[in-house]
Amino acid sequence: MANTNVKEYSPQVSSAKSRLTWLWSEYSVIIAFIIIFIASTIMNPRFLDINNQLNILMQVSIIGIVALGMTVVMLSGGIDLSVGSVLALVGVITVLALNASGSILVGIFTALVVGSFAGFLNGLMVAKGRIASFIATLGMMAAARSIALYIAEGGSVSGEVKGFTAIANNDLWIFDYPVLIFFAMTALVYILMHKTRFGRYVYALGSNEKAAMLSAIRVDRIKIAVYSLAGLLVSVAAIIETSRLNSISSSSSGVQYELDAIAAVIIGGTRMTGGRGKIIGTLFGVLILGILNNMMNLMNVSPYLQGFVKGLIIIIAVVFQKRE
Amino acid sequence: MTKNPYITMKNMKKSFNGVPVLKNVTLQIEKGEIHALLGENGAGKSTLMNILGGVHQPDNGSIYINDKEVKMSNPRISQEQGISFIHQELNMVTDLKVYENMFLGSELRNKMGFLKVEEMCQQTHDILAKLGVDIDPKEYVRNLATSYKQLIEISKALLHKSTIIIMDEPTTSLAEHEVNRLFELMKNLKKSGISIIYISHKLKEIKAVCDRYTVLRDGEMIKSGDVEQEDLDTITKLMVGKSISQNRFVHEHTFGPVLLEVNNLTSFGLFKNIHFQVKKGEIVGFTGLAGDGRTELFESLFGYRKKYTGEIKINNQLIKIDHPRKAVEAGIGLVPKDRKENAIIKDLSVIHNMSLSSIGNFEKSGFILDNAERDKFQYYKELLNIKVHNPRITIDKLSGGNQQKVIIAKWLEVGADILIFDNPTQGIDVGAKQEIYQQIVALAEQGKSVIILSSEAPEVMRICHTINVMYQGEITARFNGEEATEEEIMHYATGSKREAAKIG
Ligand SMILES: Nc1ncnc2c1ncn2[C@@H]1O[C@H](COP(=O)(O)OP(=O)(O)OP(=O)(O)O)[C@@H](O)[C@H]1O
Ligand SMILES: [Mg+2]
Repeated sequence: MANTNVKEYSPQVSSAKSRLTWLWSEYSVIIAFIIIFIASTIMNPRFLDINNQLNILMQVSIIGIVALGMTVVMLSGGIDLSVGSVLALVGVITVLALNASGSILVGIFTALVVGSFAGFLNGLMVAKGRIASFIATLGMMAAARSIALYIAEGGSVSGEVKGFTAIANNDLWIFDYPVLIFFAMTALVYILMHKTRFGRYVYALGSNEKAAMLSAIRVDRIKIAVYSLAGLLVSVAAIIETSRLNSISSSSSGVQYELDAIAAVIIGGTRMTGGRGKIIGTLFGVLILGILNNMMNLMNVSPYLQGFVKGLIIIIAVVFQKRE
Repeated sequence: MTKNPYITMKNMKKSFNGVPVLKNVTLQIEKGEIHALLGENGAGKSTLMNILGGVHQPDNGSIYINDKEVKMSNPRISQEQGISFIHQELNMVTDLKVYENMFLGSELRNKMGFLKVEEMCQQTHDILAKLGVDIDPKEYVRNLATSYKQLIEISKALLHKSTIIIMDEPTTSLAEHEVNRLFELMKNLKKSGISIIYISHKLKEIKAVCDRYTVLRDGEMIKSGDVEQEDLDTITKLMVGKSISQNRFVHEHTFGPVLLEVNNLTSFGLFKNIHFQVKKGEIVGFTGLAGDGRTELFESLFGYRKKYTGEIKINNQLIKIDHPRKAVEAGIGLVPKDRKENAIIKDLSVIHNMSLSSIGNFEKSGFILDNAERDKFQYYKELLNIKVHNPRITIDKLSGGNQQKVIIAKWLEVGADILIFDNPTQGIDVGAKQEIYQQIVALAEQGKSVIILSSEAPEVMRICHTINVMYQGEITARFNGEEATEEEIMHYATGSKREAAKIG
């Protein structure tokens, strides 16, 4: 037929502009990262210091791990507001289990179970209860915090097992463990989302749920898995957070983590309504937030104003997203 | 082409990512004519119209209206120039009401800035009435059948006092009587001096309403002329480069045992007392008017709808299907109608859309093999003649007909024993239609059972061994495919005749 032998045209000079726009649309967050990185280097000589760089990585690792799960949830078309509270709850229960058993392994295991169970409940409410994810996880946010406060009687709980602090405070070569865990999790979630059917299904469901269902995808199960995965990643973050100071506060740990995580995901270019976005984008979104925080500290911006700057950045990111 | 045309699009060129889609196309539209824009899937029809509508910018070329050059830098400007555009894919906000959709972006307000709801409803009602549609302007669009959505889309274009209306495949979801009403309306518009550019793959429609035509092929203008002076065969040849037989497919068949048996299937308000059987190697058609319940019937069979009673047997085994996944496991596949809503995952690439329902075929120890997917797509690209330069781009960048071909490929890949096609050739050109029918016949020859749902009687008459006619949720007649006539089918489809005895 006439159209089988259409020649393969290679991109030509005339398309240089369109290639540039493509580059920008695919990798805008990386380009933004590079610009911010260079600007920071120029604005403050201490920024480039290797210790400062490693410090930034260390500071973003916990939010980074939470943001990975948030990315998956948002790709599926939902949102998880409960991450901060669940982190506190997981931390509190983990410390109790740790102290009761005296075993680090039992502590870690408890954390993973509690976190993914909370996520599972979120998933159940969203998938089977047909509750909007915003509402369901808002409920979980309040409930998890309340249980954490109740168990810890409003205060902090501290670990009594030697060696537990090693998780967050040891390092390998120049990298702290949390940084390595963050990178490892990023790689795992990347593979999960781009190389397995689970990832493909999440994108499909976030893009067109009805069509995904008619494509014979078990939409409900995928949703439950998505929230459970987010919960599991929260528990990994909770283990690090707890291990860092060997204690967790039922009232202040994890507060506003959901905002930072959502900010990182959006800066990373994931679309609010789902179906579109990348894990790599979130990685750079997290790094951009880290650099901004770091720079504001280095330049002695009042901590009270830091939220303002962050808010501004999120809004700019969303405006850019809208334009395409 | 003697007098000065009303609109001239001159030397239009457009490339996407270095791939030329329009190569120097010139199109001329006279005042008060209905002009057919014809061409194969991917010929560039929608792209050309998107340029006129200000959606895309041409790389080269200019547009003249009344001999004055105009730049369509965005859709708003195009609208201000008096152009209304009915897009190929429906663009409704389903969570809004009918009148809100109609007036989206051009709401009527009073001096205080408040919305004039009642007036908008009234106008909506009047325009819909012209098309013979009686729906409440305050109904939510999501509750409406697709044919209504399409009619609302058309009405929306009529709302603006435009002088040019572009209709890109406006009738793909309409039933015949709705099409006829639309044609009446178009003829009236024409009389009042409005020009209409009409894109359709249904050549009968071209003959029925269009005055002149222009044929595109591979982004080039092939010919333009008067519709009256050409017969359909010539136009087909111009479009696809060969003539296409409209005859019935004659196929030798030896049916196997009954594969699918449906007894007494009933769903309140949708369909009732459905009985039928499909043998291995048989092609069974279901036709009827819009709202006859056939789509809902097979969505139930496929497990998408769950509220029904009755029994479904496959290979004489009673099965319960409550999710599409279970249907696929039981060997049933469904190519749904209305691809944008039900089939296209617009954020996934062409390849990933193709493999979505059969990822197992491309997996090794839990990981998806990119190369296997790509090679398989290459196979379908050749088999179905899918026109795409880079299959890694998202599927919404494909022309409408080519998207449909990808969806068909997706379900061929699943390899179901019972394959249901709902309106499978929606938006597909005459040449490609033939190829898809051939694929369907080939499936039957391999011993699979095929079910075709279509509102076009000629379509089921061309390929089906058995034809069921439905009316208001019931099967009112069953014909042998060779004996059915369009007239007979219409009698039963409109409910003026019943043949309950024959169906049992
Ligand atoms: N935004 C885009 N990016 C890349 N390619 C595109 C884009 N839009 C259209 N194309 C390509 O341009 C070609 C022409 O598409 P167009 O939609 O104009 O075809 P068409 O004649 O309307 O076909 P159909 O009858 O199937 O609707 C196709 O090969 C399509 O893949
Ligand atoms: Mg088109």
